[in-house]
Amino acid sequence: MTFIVRQLSRTSEGREIVRTARHEADSIAIGRDASSEIHLADLAVELHHAQVKMQTGGELEIDSTCGLPFEIEGRSALQARIDPAVGAELRFGGHRIGVSAEDGAAVLTVERVEALSDASEAKEEIGLFTLKGLLPGRRPVAWSLIGAVLLIFLIWPIFTYATSHGVAKRSPGFHADRMWSSGPLSIAHKSLMNNCQACHVNKFEAVRDTACMTCHKDDAHAHADPARIALAKEPPGIGGRIKGLFQTAFNHPAGRCVDCHTEHEGAGRMPPTAQAFCTDCHGSLNTRLTDTKLKNADDFGTDHPEFMPAVTAGTDARGNRLYRRVSFNAHPVDNNGLKFPHAIHLARGGSIARMAQTMKADQGFGDSLACKDCHTPTADGTRFRPVEMERNCGMCHSLAFDRIGGTFRTLRHGDPAQVVADLRAFYRSTGPDRPISLGGMARRRPGDYAAAETSQDYVAGARAYGGQAEEAVQAVFSRGGACFDCHVVTPTGNGSAPFHIGKVYQPDRYMKKGWFDHNAHRSEACTSCHAADRSKAATDLLLPDLASCRTCHVGESGSRLKPVKTPVESSCAMCHDYHIDAGAPWLARQKVDRTKGHAQGRGTLASAR
Amino acid sequence: MASEAPRRAMQTGRIRSDGAHDGFLRHNNFQWLKVAGSVSLLAILAYLLIDVQPRPNGGSWYGYILGTVGAGLIVWLTLLGLRKRTMTPGAWSLKAWTSAHVYLGLSLIVIGTLHTGFQFGWNVHTLAYVLMMFVIVSGIFGVSAYATLPRAMSANRDEMTEAQMLESLRAIDRQLHEAAQPLELRQAELVRSSLEQDPFGGSLWQRLSGNYPDCETRAAQAAVRTENAYKPKLGNDPLEKVDALLSRKEAMLARVRRHLRLKALLEIWLYVHVPLTFALLAALFAHIISVFFYW
Repeated sequence: MTFIVRQLSRTSEGREIVRTARHEADSIAIGRDASSEIHLADLAVELHHAQVKMQTGGELEIDSTCGLPFEIEGRSALQARIDPAVGAELRFGGHRIGVSAEDGAAVLTVERVEALSDASEAKEEIGLFTLKGLLPGRRPVAWSLIGAVLLIFLIWPIFTYATSHGVAKRSPGFHADRMWSSGPLSIAHKSLMNNCQACHVNKFEAVRDTACMTCHKDDAHAHADPARIALAKEPPGIGGRIKGLFQTAFNHPAGRCVDCHTEHEGAGRMPPTAQAFCTDCHGSLNTRLTDTKLKNADDFGTDHPEFMPAVTAGTDARGNRLYRRVSFNAHPVDNNGLKFPHAIHLARGGSIARMAQTMKADQGFGDSLACKDCHTPTADGTRFRPVEMERNCGMCHSLAFDRIGGTFRTLRHGDPAQVVADLRAFYRSTGPDRPISLGGMARRRPGDYAAAETSQDYVAGARAYGGQAEEAVQAVFSRGGACFDCHVVTPTGNGSAPFHIGKVYQPDRYMKKGWFDHNAHRSEACTSCHAADRSKAATDLLLPDLASCRTCHVGESGSRLKPVKTPVESSCAMCHDYHIDAGAPWLARQKVDRTKGHAQGRGTLASAR
Repeated sequence: MASEAPRRAMQTGRIRSDGAHDGFLRHNNFQWLKVAGSVSLLAILAYLLIDVQPRPNGGSWYGYILGTVGAGLIVWLTLLGLRKRTMTPGAWSLKAWTSAHVYLGLSLIVIGTLHTGFQFGWNVHTLAYVLMMFVIVSGIFGVSAYATLPRAMSANRDEMTEAQMLESLRAIDRQLHEAAQPLELRQAELVRSSLEQDPFGGSLWQRLSGNYPDCETRAAQAAVRTENAYKPKLGNDPLEKVDALLSRKEAMLARVRRHLRLKALLEIWLYVHVPLTFALLAALFAHIISVFFYW
């Protein structure tokens, strides 16, 4: 029985070295022990690992002697039979043993196929000490990040734009171009958050006014004639010219709605426009618009024309009030058709204060009358409801003229003809008071002269009683009478309506171009602006002038002419609106909302804004 | 800067303040620190003085200027990757370029942040900003690593090259393999597990922390030592030799792993800095396109 054991090893260049040994034996041992015929210097192999026996018929039987398996053709086994003529491959630890036959001898070719340690494995030494292999490479990561970012943040939103172009309202849910939003939309436009195309109509085209006007047809009316606005504009300085160049180059025209109504500036209300926007034209308006009636206004603190309240200038044919705007410099008076001295009513002493004290329980007066006793704020707090005779004056000034049981009959306020008729009817239907000595049914005895005289006087008085009506009517409409005390009364000579009462005006706005909100001034006393406690005539125009406002209000950037203790910085927008209408300016409404802590509409357009 | 070049060209050799090596941070007496500092200061001052209405944002004229400067800087800073592949001396040396890269990169913190107007959100614009900040922060980490780690590294290497470390490990392994031959299987298995463990293996975290709780060499050494502890030292026990060799291997491994850790710390920032730079460039591109797309 012959075994040929060939030990294969390789030089560092890779050349094969073959050491051959012949063993004439029935069996040979495989193991780590140096005495083994097949000595495997391999720590994964047992000292005496296996025995190879030659069987009759030339087959080899391989038995594990240590109970540890070996591998044959990749399978793990404790025992195997091999025909050397067919050949096989065994594996012990890091060694491979090829079995073949050669001239009747079994050839066992031994080769080490694993390095003896991991460190001695042939590795690429460059990069061994680096992070290579522990982390994905820098280039593939860079490329994949570029791809991901462009795909998610550029291509996807562009796809969204392309697919929703011209769509009025998109489906709810996430749309990729939301990722382009540079900030939250204001409260007014919050609902457009998912519909970028509502404003951003065409790609690479700045938002045009046409987009705004699809919703704002009614409330975004022109400030003035566009041609005149163009003429009024201050010529741009160097900075403005450079800006203009860029705007032209980037197709970003100036003068669009969005110049002032900037969006994506954060949730909440849209921020108001800066003062410069107004003063660019109005600061030196008369130099460009030579025909303008408007005075220049550059800054509330330092350069603002005196207020021009709209005072009554008579009535037109239909009895409507005509007004004329007069500057406070001309000391305007306002004839509202009443006689009413504020000073007496507000006096802290005297008969009116005394009367107020007696009516404390009834009307809730204080020790003397105060403004609030007659002036009631409107629901929005901006101004005051007109004073009404029945509700306000009537608290003290009674128009009662007759008493039936516990009920008083009063003259009809506001209807002079009715007053006259009522008085005449009163005298026609009633007689003088019946003397008490005219006993009921007692028979008069002759000689009782006193009683007869009384009776005759009474009868004569009763006969002439109706004639006293005209005297009463005269009295009511003349000095000392109920009407004359407060109203301007003119005789008409007309029998049925002998007197005419002058029309009374209580204008709700004197400042036609500006805006004043009482609500914003609640912390102030009335008299700090209205000198009512010193006014002796109803014609006094008890409005504060420019200097009075400037005791608190300074310019947008704090400019002022005199020292101000607690300055309130006021831009144009605080009192003026660009799109002028009857409502409060945008900024004023915002301020009030902030202090009140709730949104306040603006009439019927609240929803559209 | 421009007037510097001719003056420097006339100099023969470099003028050094104290004979010490002038690193890229100190280059030309902190020239680029001064430049970047002035630019940042100017940007902050202008930001404070210019009253952008209704609130500062990237879409104001000043915002556009800052954005343009910032984008230009980002592109230029990226070019260091190209520039470093061609080394040149002189006024526009690679060192000068690197110095400018570091300080101008830092100035981007100011320019980029002011450009945002402190308006952030979940959008592509803030994405670009955040990526930029990540790149800058990783760069700061890199600079600080370059400033501190090499000293520790050469102290640890003790004038050994990486090749020598590897060869030393292999030599110990060969001796271990030899010495372990007579051992019974259980002990041989211990040695084999030490031999078969990749000294350069372990996770990224293990690399960076230098903490290898599943080190087979240590386990083998502990087990062998336990077996050896109560045996008389006769000098002919193969286990004694294996014990000594395992101790040597462990010491060597400790040094190699310290080296690996320091090297990983020196490299890791680039694995963030470079890919994120390209992510930033992509986000910047998307940011600019989107701004003009929805003008």
